[in-house]
Formats: sequence, C-alpha cells, structure tokens
Amino acid sequence: MSGISLHPTGGYPISRRQALLGMIGLGGTITHAIAAPALVEEHPAHPVAALDAVSMLYDNTICTGCKACMPACNEANDLPPDTLQTGGLWDMPADLNSKTKNIIKLYQEPEGPGFAYVKRQCMHCLDPACVTGCPFGSLQKSDWGAVTWNSSLCIGCRYCEVACPFDVPKFEWDHFDPKIVKCEFCYDRLHNHEQPACTAVCPTGAVIFGKRTDLLAQAKERIAASPDKYFENRVYGEHEAGGTQVLYLSNVSFQKIGLPKLGTTSLGHYATKVTSVIYKWLSGPILMAGILGVVIKRNWNRHEAESAAHEKETGLHPQL
Amino acid sequence: MSKHDSTGSALINHWQRGVPVYRHAVVTPGFIFFAVLAAVGLALAAARFFSPLGPFSGMNDAYAWGIWKTFNVMTLTALGSGPLAVGIAAWVFNRRKLHVVMRTALVSGFLFYATGLLALGFDVGRPWNFYSALMPWRWNSESAMLEISICMPLYCAVFLAFENLPLVLERFYYTGGESTQWILRTVAPFLRRIYPYVIVGAYVLPLMHQSSLGGLLLLAGDKINPLWQTPFLPLLYLLAAGLCGLGFVTFLLLICGFRYSRPLDLGVLGELGNLLSCACFLFLAVRAGDLIWRRQVHAAFAFDTMSLVFLFETGLILVPAFALLSKAVRETPRRLLNMATLAGLGGMFYRFVPTTIAYTPAHRAIYFPSFPEVLMAIGYISLGIVAFILAVNYFAVLPGDVEDWNQMSKLDRWRLPAPKSEAVKPERKTSWPASLSTP
Repeated sequence: MSGISLHPTGGYPISRRQALLGMIGLGGTITHAIAAPALVEEHPAHPVAALDAVSMLYDNTICTGCKACMPACNEANDLPPDTLQTGGLWDMPADLNSKTKNIIKLYQEPEGPGFAYVKRQCMHCLDPACVTGCPFGSLQKSDWGAVTWNSSLCIGCRYCEVACPFDVPKFEWDHFDPKIVKCEFCYDRLHNHEQPACTAVCPTGAVIFGKRTDLLAQAKERIAASPDKYFENRVYGEHEAGGTQVLYLSNVSFQKIGLPKLGTTSLGHYATKVTSVIYKWLSGPILMAGILGVVIKRNWNRHEAESAAHEKETGLHPQL
Repeated sequence: MSKHDSTGSALINHWQRGVPVYRHAVVTPGFIFFAVLAAVGLALAAARFFSPLGPFSGMNDAYAWGIWKTFNVMTLTALGSGPLAVGIAAWVFNRRKLHVVMRTALVSGFLFYATGLLALGFDVGRPWNFYSALMPWRWNSESAMLEISICMPLYCAVFLAFENLPLVLERFYYTGGESTQWILRTVAPFLRRIYPYVIVGAYVLPLMHQSSLGGLLLLAGDKINPLWQTPFLPLLYLLAAGLCGLGFVTFLLLICGFRYSRPLDLGVLGELGNLLSCACFLFLAVRAGDLIWRRQVHAAFAFDTMSLVFLFETGLILVPAFALLSKAVRETPRRLLNMATLAGLGGMFYRFVPTTIAYTPAHRAIYFPSFPEVLMAIGYISLGIVAFILAVNYFAVLPGDVEDWNQMSKLDRWRLPAPKSEAVKPERKTSWPASLSTP
C-alpha cells in the first residue's frame, strides 16, 4: 500500500461545507444523468456521419454500363439470377427486386442521343427511416454504418418498404419464409477486411469504396476540377434525407436517373420529434392516465351512488 | 309515467338498459349470407397460412401495404373507436345519458379490433417472430409500428375484453344454475371495484395507438401528398377515430333499431348527434389550421385530382357538422342516420386516403387488390357482422326498455320460448317513427 488515501477527506469526518458540496455534486450527477440523454438528440435533423462510416461513390461519367457489379453482387450474396424477362436465359432484372440487391440502369434522353447510367442499391442513410420504423430492430445501423437485416427479428410488416424514400427494401412475395432483401454493404466482407463485391469488381472505378469523409472530399475535388461537368455541381447524398453513405455524381439531373428529390432533414427526425417528447419514459401516457384516473374515479363514485339508489327503487341490478 | 333526468327534461322514449333481442329469428337469409362470406374469407385465410403472400394479394414492393392494413386496420378500427369516444364522453365528460349505449359501442368496437387484428395476423410475412413482443429489450421504442403491434392486441385482448365481460357474465347469471349464480355474485363486486381503474387503461391505450396509426405515415414522408402529409397526422388520425366512433355508434343504434323494431331514445341519439357535430368541427378546425400553417391552402383549391379528393372528403364531414347543429336534424331518426353515415364515411375516407390514393411511391407502380385479397377482407368484416348479430340476440347489448328487460328472467338456455300463438307485440311507449319505416 502506498499510503495514499483514496478518500478525499482521509477518513476524518467531513465538514458541513464539504457535505453540502457533496450533495450538490450528487444532485448534479443525477440531474446530469437525467438531462444528458435529452440533450443528445437521438434523431438530429442533420445527422453527422461517424468517423469510421464507410461509403461508396458512384460517378456515372465514368461508368461504362458493363454491369460487372451485378453478377458480383449476386455471387457475394447468394442471389439467384433474375431471368424473368429473358425466358430463363440470363440475369436481367427490371429493377431492384427480391433477387437483385444491386442494378445498373440506363437513362435515355427522350429526344437526342444523350444517355446516362445509374447504379442503384441501398443508400445506407445516416439516419435510416427503415431502422427508425422497424418494430423489433430487425433492420439496424451496424458497424461502419451499414444498414443490415436480421431474419430472426423481422415480423414481415413491410413498414421499411413504406418508410424508405428510395424504395430500396424488397420483400419475397413468393416465399413462405419471406426475407427483406436489400444491399447490406457486403457486411460479411467488411468484417473480413474486404471491400464490397461491386466496388471490388468495378473495372473503371465508376464506383469506389472508402471512408465517407474521404469520398465526399474526393467527389468535391472532382467537381472543382471540372466545373459544370456535374449536375448542379453537387454530390447527391451529402444532405439528402439527412445524408446517405452512398454518394452520387451525375452529369444529368438526379431525378432523371431515378434519385428522388428529397429535403435535407432526416425522416427519423421529422417522424419522432414530437412523439419522442410525449413518449419519453412514457410520461405522456402516464400523465394522461393520471388525469383520466382522477376524473373517472370521481364520476364513477357518483355513478355508483346513482345506480345503487336506482336499484333500491326498481330492484334492477345496475348494468355495466 | 314520465321520468325526469337531472336537467329536468322529460325522457319519453327511455332507453334504460341493455336488453337482448327477443322474438326475432337469428338465422335469416341475411345471416346465412354473411356467414358464408365469413367462411369463404376464413378458408382463404387458412390457405394463406400455408402459402406465401404473393398468390393471395395484389400487393407489390411499391405498394407494400394492401387493403388488409389500409382498410381492415387503418380505416375500420376508426369505426371501432366507439368505446373510446362514447366512453370518454360518458365517463370523463360525464354525459351520463350515454352509459346506456356503451354496450353497443363495446361489442362493435371489440369486433372491429378483433377482425382487424385477424387481418393483420394473416398479412404479416413472418408472424412466427412476433414472440419478440413479449421481450421488451427487443422493442424499438421509437417505432410507431412497435407501439401499434403491442398496444392494439393488448387493448383488444385485455381491456376491451374486460369491458365486454359484464354482459357475458350477466347472461350466465340469468341462464345458469344456482352455483353459477353464487360464483358470479361473489365475483361481481370485485369486477366493480377494479372497473374504474381498468377503463383508464381502456382509454389511454387507444389514444396512443389510434394516434400512432397516423404517426406511422410520418416516415413515409414525401410519398404522401402534402395535403395529407403533416406533423399533425397523429392528432388528426385520433380525431378522425373519435368522429368515426361516434358516427358509427349512432349509425349502428339506428340500423339495429330499424332491424329489430326497437323504440328509439331520441334524447340519447340527439346527444350522440350533438357530440358528433362537435367532433366534426374539431377535426375540420385542426385540418384547416394545419393547411394554413403549412401554406397548402392553394393546393386544396387547385381543383386537380388530389384537391378534388380532399374537397370530397372535407365535404363529407362538413355537411353533417353543420346539419347536426339543428335539433330538428338530430332528433329526426332518418336525417340523423343520413348525417351519421356521411360523417362516418368522411372519417373513413380520411383514414383510407393517405395510404392509398394520396400515396405515391418513388417508383411508378399500380396496386389493386386481387380477388382473394378482397374476399378475405370481406370475410373478416362478415365475421364481425355474424358475431354482432349473435351478440345482440343472446346478450343484453342493444339499449331498450325495462319492460323488455323483464323477459330476461324467462330465457331458457338459449332463446325465449317461442310463443304458441301469434306473437303478441309488446306494448311500446313509442313505436318506430313512420318517417324511417317508409322506404
């Protein structure tokens, strides 16, 4: 033992002043414990990406539409080819569906030769609406911000499909044991220190993998290097729906390639800003129960007295 | 002999207590019709239990919610909010006249919830994982869907069931032997003691989940037309539930009065009409205030498709709101029935539109319910109708006269013994108004 006492008063009786300070300290700790969670908003309007958030940057001025990412995705995720449109010959999905987590689509100008590719998959929002809505936490914001799905918690309510502003989650309508199918950022590969299958296989670097902060900076460098090359000189996903971890650069309008026009506020913030106050520790319902309880009990007593008198008068038992 | 209530107004057609329906055939062609529909719906539901959702519904990934959720649950549980609306009026705001119609509200509300939850059970894709509801550490407390999936079954299975218990036990009392009667006499005081506390839960829970049904749609964001997408959705869904609840109870009392030739208590019905008018105005005030606050008034009067849908919906509620201000309308059964129907339809329309007509997913797609999907939805509703017909025939549900009540003691095990000669119509203080009987 070094002889240094861990107790600040060294075992002597504490003075009144110290006791008072201690009480304030304790009170302060409790106040802090209660107030702190309220100060740290669970769904800020404009969430900030975690430092280790992974990201994908897709630049459709580089994409050649080779679709190498599609079979790579199917292979990495054990997905069957979608051969519905080709009579069983080869994989040709019309859109993201329960067999397709990743797709390259082509936008063609109605008049003129202009065209643009777009790669669609889950956007891995910073504050995903699907995760906010998922009743038993089957969809989760997992390590590095990947949005993953857990089959043992999902009840199949399909609220994620209603909530997702990008229409990403898909449901296996033709399976008895239906799963929610969506890109999970090749979560298992990330854990094996591999990058997602689509970015790994992309031959031109149209879609690249990295930290969100790095890729956002790189995207802005590309915009700065060639002004007016990219639509609105901005990165889609930097602020959309509070920000996403998949970022887009496009030479045509984002809406033309199917990326919806969205506000910058996270949907989770919009949906929970009032209810999170009312339902904090169930305070709203408990308060309501208290008020109703007092009023109902008063009216009940009055009602009981009346029905007792009525029973005496008529001999009929009072009904509830 | 006319009685006077505390305010001194004479009650001539006095509804005094719940009374079973006597001397009406239970199994009628109409009853068989609904029973067959219910059987078809349940048979399909049973088949769905062993099959994927795909073959049974027209739902797709863009419209992931079909009529089972948007109509059987979202819309019809609003009609099933009678126990909430009438109960709060009677027990909290002390509208004592309304105690007598509580049983009608409770039975219909229970059936709407039970059949809605049945629809939900066959709608979810992975029902076997629902046991998570019993494990609070798995709850995502910020999810409106969680609130609904816990709160609704709890409300129906515990609180509504408890509120419906007295009328079931009462029947056992009158038809049971001495030991049954002794048991019930012993149990009754205990039920009465806990009753006022249980009904507090019976009002808090639906206040929570009826507003959460609107809260669900907040996350859908821009997919829902701005005329409907608002932070006030939870409040508006709750107000629409109150409106639909009052409207449906009024509608049901009048329809049952007609069907079973019951005398009507226009004092009670007028009170319901009065409250219904208030509920309509309250709903419209919040709706209008919200549109002004969000600067969407121009969209409401743009006279495009969504604007016309909005105006139609508002008109359905606006007409009864004003019409029911008139005592003449409130106390003329035919007019009251019309207005209650309009208000109920308006409320239903409001609850149905945001998830269907006003819902535009990012990808263009079409949803129309498939034939089995519609048959199942109709089947659940028919099941509720069959159960309601049985309930009013065997239990003291519908409000009536004390003179009719006295027949309760003559009940044999199931029915009043059939009269040997031509049934003597019991003398009534007032008969069904001629204005309603004429087609």
